[in-house]
Amino acid sequence: MDLTPLHEVEAPSDLRRRVHRRRRWSVLVISAVLIFAMAFITAQGLRNATLFFRNVDEAVEQRSELGERRFRIQGRVIPSSVKSESGLTTFEIVHNCVVASVLHSSDPPELFSSPWIPVVLEGHWIAGEVMTLGGNDSHYFSSDRMLVKHTNEYASANEQRVTEEPPEGFLDQCSFEVPAAAS
Amino acid sequence: MPGANSAAKMTATPVTRVLGVSALAATALMAVLGLIVSPPDVIQGEAVRMLYVHVPSIWIAYGSFALTSTSSVLFLRRSRRRADQGRHYDRLAGSAAEVGVVFTAITLITGMLWGKVTWGTYWQWDARLTTTVLLFVTYLGYLALRRLPAEPTVRSRRAAVMALISFVNVPIVHYSVDWWRTLHQKASLSVGRRPEITGEMYWTLLYSTLAVTILATWLIIHRYRVIRLEELRDEEGLEALIASRLNKDVGSH
Amino acid sequence: MSEVATVVVGWGITFVALATYSTWVVLRGKGIGQELGIGEIEQSDVEKDTSATTDS
Repeated sequence: MDLTPLHEVEAPSDLRRRVHRRRRWSVLVISAVLIFAMAFITAQGLRNATLFFRNVDEAVEQRSELGERRFRIQGRVIPSSVKSESGLTTFEIVHNCVVASVLHSSDPPELFSSPWIPVVLEGHWIAGEVMTLGGNDSHYFSSDRMLVKHTNEYASANEQRVTEEPPEGFLDQCSFEVPAAAS
Repeated sequence: MPGANSAAKMTATPVTRVLGVSALAATALMAVLGLIVSPPDVIQGEAVRMLYVHVPSIWIAYGSFALTSTSSVLFLRRSRRRADQGRHYDRLAGSAAEVGVVFTAITLITGMLWGKVTWGTYWQWDARLTTTVLLFVTYLGYLALRRLPAEPTVRSRRAAVMALISFVNVPIVHYSVDWWRTLHQKASLSVGRRPEITGEMYWTLLYSTLAVTILATWLIIHRYRVIRLEELRDEEGLEALIASRLNKDVGSH
Repeated sequence: MSEVATVVVGWGITFVALATYSTWVVLRGKGIGQELGIGEIEQSDVEKDTSATTDS
């Protein structure tokens, strides 16, 4: 009589090893999927954050495609242009020698009063003839939210005074002159 | 108990006591320099004093997370050879991560307060703030993973892998202000770039970093030792449980 | 909140958080040490011990 088993019986340790290997593969696959998902979410999140603001020159250039859409614009405030009246503040911001007129409708942060401070404004373009330092413009920016974007430059208030002068080299290539701020 | 005597040597030692007293004295001097001696900023005024707690905190967090990653790599390399090897690397990884999380939380809170007086808002989802909060949440996840019930070596291996994945975000947080447009200003100090901070403020910032580093070192050492004690307690608890089971079995037969 | 108040709150939160965490770490160590019955050994042993040894 032939007593040889029809199927070769696996030793328990072999079986365990095979199960372990399979489990390891499934852990690897799940990890890869999780990492991919995290990277995807981060990339999506950062895509929104990457265009946190448009500089003035870009916002003016993209004016037709932006239409009345809400977005953030960034530029330095021209000190001589700031006027406040009945809760509204009007001023001009400049970046890369392109100037935009702004009508702002909420309380500006405290640091707004610093000359040439960079600000990020939330709002949209509105059609309307305005006269800016850079010449006549067909639109102005209507904003209701202002964030001050301070720089990483720190100087002792005991040694330096606040100056009305623009930052070094900031207006070097510009064709317009900036008048002194009314004190 | 065989571990008791060795555990005793792992708690406070004269060196850590000296380190602890130094940390206390250094942070007291940091407060004097940061709050009284250093001048106000020409634009930000008194608000600039937040710099001396906010910036060193994130640097310490980066350093702690780097230590977690290095220890995790060493743990993974050692534990592959023998299951019980490299346990001290796992403990170091865990203690450094916890200290890193504390300092990241401080960075976020002080940053929000500083943001309110300078930017005019507590929070904005720009790239720097988003990646920093992601860093905080990821390492909280890492600490949670370390507490999940599992066989210790398996749990430590999982945590080590998680630590390495989490660390990918550290350079992203640091360079986010250069890679993307953010409301957050660029790095206060960078290698190879002239600092934009004047004398007294610059030295106060460097001193604050040193003071916080001493404190963080003391915390990591002590937390490491507490983790070792926690392990001893768990082992002892397990031994007691086995002994009580054996007694029960003997009694029932 | 004024600039000064912000600074006081910011520094205050930082110091309170670090002091709380440090105290928690020390007390947890002492608590577990006592649970394991090594609290008293620790004190006398540490006084004699001049080297800052870890178990590594």
